[in-house]
Amino acid sequence: MSPQFVDFDADGKLDIVAGIFDGSPHLSRGSKQGWQKPEQILGRDGKRIVVNNFWNFDTKKWDSTHAYDAPGHEGEAHATSTLAFDMDGDGDLDLLLGDHKSGRVFWRRNDGSPGKPAFDLVNQPVTAAGAPIDVPGTVATMRLVDWNGDGKQDLACGSMGGPFGDGDGGGVWVWPNVGDGKAAAWGAPIELLARSKQDHVGDAPARPDAGLYMDFGDVDGDGDLDMLVGAYSHWQEAPKPLDAAQQARVAALQAAQKDCDARFQQVLKEVNAGLGDAVGEARDTLYTERYQARQADFEAIRKDRSAAVKELATLVPPRQRQSFVWLYENLAAKKAAAPAK
Amino acid sequence: MRVLVLPVVFCAAATAAAQSPQFAPPVRLKAGETFLGEKRLYPSPVLHDLDGDGRVDVVVGDLPGVLTMAPRGNAAADAPVYGAETKVLAADGKPLDFDNW
Repeated sequence: MSPQFVDFDADGKLDIVAGIFDGSPHLSRGSKQGWQKPEQILGRDGKRIVVNNFWNFDTKKWDSTHAYDAPGHEGEAHATSTLAFDMDGDGDLDLLLGDHKSGRVFWRRNDGSPGKPAFDLVNQPVTAAGAPIDVPGTVATMRLVDWNGDGKQDLACGSMGGPFGDGDGGGVWVWPNVGDGKAAAWGAPIELLARSKQDHVGDAPARPDAGLYMDFGDVDGDGDLDMLVGAYSHWQEAPKPLDAAQQARVAALQAAQKDCDARFQQVLKEVNAGLGDAVGEARDTLYTERYQARQADFEAIRKDRSAAVKELATLVPPRQRQSFVWLYENLAAKKAAAPAK
Repeated sequence: MRVLVLPVVFCAAATAAAQSPQFAPPVRLKAGETFLGEKRLYPSPVLHDLDGDGRVDVVVGDLPGVLTMAPRGNAAADAPVYGAETKVLAADGKPLDFDNW
């Protein structure tokens, strides 16, 4: 989730709007007593707002719908980020929805009025320079920021990237608002932070690598916009020199890990092989029974693998993964104030 | 392959300064004695004066839907110092929870 403080219901008090992993935007209303219990933001049909994929609270399973697709924009989007913003300049807050499974951003037009929203039932793709926005590395979060200082809110997006250090990581871009000052229109993106290569070797993390959630503000009071980024960092401590015996042991431990993974897959295959033609709840029940019957096997594999991983870490530093919030200090003001050479 | 079209021409130096990122190497923020957002699932910070003291705090959301606040401990014109994170409370006095799926 990425919270947005905004007066969503136009009562003069700030509320919190947030998209969460269930696939829908939520609202905690601000009141004299404090923040109210979060509620789903509904469309004008009285149903929760989703793009495609969502957690179905009735069936307690992941579900999907295409009821709200714009023609030509059918997909399997999973909206986990939300931004309330007056896209069309009609004086009320529309909703932007970011897809964490792709780089797409959609919006729901508000046909109501401030305080009485009536969100349209079509997820329109948000376009920039004539094409749908496609955030490299899929959408983690969206923020509004007047990055270029022209008085209009620009759209910033942070991206996910490979969440476990796999492949390229995330980055940050801003799409400048090139609209007429009322309705927003987005120009070509400016790269604020390039995607991470997730290949840092060192004793400490070097940057936010995956799942980049950013916000902007003048944190150091020098008159320009700094950037905060919450994310996972991935790094690898420099390997130690190993003698021949240690190298052989590393190879053996790595082989033991692979063997554990193969054993796990084999047991899982045997669990699934006994399901026959069972479907629905009967299949789920049978699967649970068969899975639980093999608990001793799973536990033995887990113990073996855990021991191998633990010993391997004494010889080869394991890859590190930890979440932090980073500050990127903007040097623009300092550079502008520096005496000319 | 996704390709970004980046602007190559800026009309004025002032515009270029506003648009081109010129960031110092990133540093991890601390909240009290610990790193802000450490061990949180997908921490998402937002700058907001939550306690109304005129200084901008950092509110951090996460995947499970929990919100915390690290209060800004010093003046806006200095390198930021933040106090230890505490959970943001709802009107009922319990932690505000954007209860996840």
